[in-house]
Amino acid sequence: MGITSYDWGLIWDYRSALLHGLLIALQVSAVALVIATVGGLGLAMLRMGRAPLSWVALVYINVFRGMPALVTVIWIYFGVSLLLGVNFTVFQAGVIALSLLYSAFMAEVFRSALQAVPHGHREAGLALGMRDTRIFFSVIAPQAFKIALPNVGSMFIGMIKDTSTFTVIGLLEVVRVTQNANAQTFQPFVLYTAAAAIYVLAAFAVDVVFRFGEAALSSPPKGRVSRVLRARKQKRIHTLLGELA
Amino acid sequence: MNDVQPTEPTSAPRSRVASTRENGASAAGEPAVRIRQIRKSFGPVEVLRGIDLEVHAGEHVVIFGPSGSGKSTVLRSINLLEQPDSGSVCVDGVEYGPGVPGEPVVRRGRPMELRRKVGMVFQQFNLFPHLTALDNVALPLRSVKQMKSGDAMRKAAESLRRVGLLERAAHYPGQLSGGQQQRVAIARALSLDPKVMLFDEPTSALDPELVGEVLRVMHELAVDGMTMVVVTHELGFARDIGDLNVFMDQGVIVETGSRELFESPTNPRTQDFIRAVR
Repeated sequence: MGITSYDWGLIWDYRSALLHGLLIALQVSAVALVIATVGGLGLAMLRMGRAPLSWVALVYINVFRGMPALVTVIWIYFGVSLLLGVNFTVFQAGVIALSLLYSAFMAEVFRSALQAVPHGHREAGLALGMRDTRIFFSVIAPQAFKIALPNVGSMFIGMIKDTSTFTVIGLLEVVRVTQNANAQTFQPFVLYTAAAAIYVLAAFAVDVVFRFGEAALSSPPKGRVSRVLRARKQKRIHTLLGELA
Repeated sequence: MNDVQPTEPTSAPRSRVASTRENGASAAGEPAVRIRQIRKSFGPVEVLRGIDLEVHAGEHVVIFGPSGSGKSTVLRSINLLEQPDSGSVCVDGVEYGPGVPGEPVVRRGRPMELRRKVGMVFQQFNLFPHLTALDNVALPLRSVKQMKSGDAMRKAAESLRRVGLLERAAHYPGQLSGGQQQRVAIARALSLDPKVMLFDEPTSALDPELVGEVLRVMHELAVDGMTMVVVTHELGFARDIGDLNVFMDQGVIVETGSRELFESPTNPRTQDFIRAVR
């Protein structure tokens, strides 16, 4: 059997179903990314703070870093409805599972980023008479965010890939669409190759977006958009300097 | 050694530096800063063993001594970046810190209030790398002095002009040399109009050829009558501006004196140190 017996045209036939699967995967991941970012930041602060809250954060982080996405989503979708009688939609269950898991990873990303900002910067802020909260928001957090950003990008890629396990609760994401198409056509090689390509391209696109973000946040900012934004600020400074001269 | 060579600053006229100890202009009255009985331990090591020091308005105090002598810790105690185990810091008539044992408890100011009267320049500059030189100076003006953005920028620019870096206002710290970064740091501290400026080895992290520009700015500040406490290894510079020179070793002040301390130290430990670095 040569490769010609594979019907590559199937990918085109199923293009809208596959892309819709990708859209679902991106939606679940994007909502979870926002929640996990906030949750991770909170956990990182708790973890770096005082006992006993730091222990609570530590236990949470170690539990959810160790949980596979597949197990977590089953537990949320079926377990919570058994325990509490709450019925989540598959979309909600997916978002909750990813948020719980990735908050734990994000906590470690943010903790290491916050710790990477030199201690002297806080001291300089204190010596200038700034309040601790102001130092955090104006000095520490912006630098930590810049340090954390590439890892947040990797987390987002990880989330998109983990949505593939949500086929188990019937979420119509890429793998579920692939399985359905395969059931109709018996062309698993073609269809799973398409699925693989979709994940790789999605990861590549996310990487490009985060690289733009990184460039914009570098000092001085790089990239066309930030150059335009920076030009306005530069102009303001030069007007001011002109006034003073 | 480069440490003791009086570099460019000596070219500035020495006589213009007001030597308040010698002419006694402000020796009377309340000192601008007075620290009493400061003690501090790091674990089992007692790094400060009862430090007393008075700094009068307009006076330039130089603290020097071998590494580990506690000179930086004294400086960092003045603005309570280092909380002493006991002892008192008095600035502008207000007492700060834990207090001297056995003294009646008086109202003690909060560290933040103290720090708003005291400027500090660090060995590692500690500029905020994500902000331009101008924003580094303007940020504390906005957040500490509650100035509006435009006013803060104008005042920050004035401050940068004072250290000769107005044309670098839009640069980020990463685009500036070490000497320029330190001058921005000086401008940042100055712009808050402190009563006293603390310098913690401000030239120790600089390449030798960049030391001069920072010392020149500090020298101008001294000439302008700024009250300064400087921890430094630049004994040439110390000789130049020091009204009161303080030699520290092993957590105590060994000897103090005006310029003659460098010419004719009386304590053998001071003699050894000055001979060694010369």
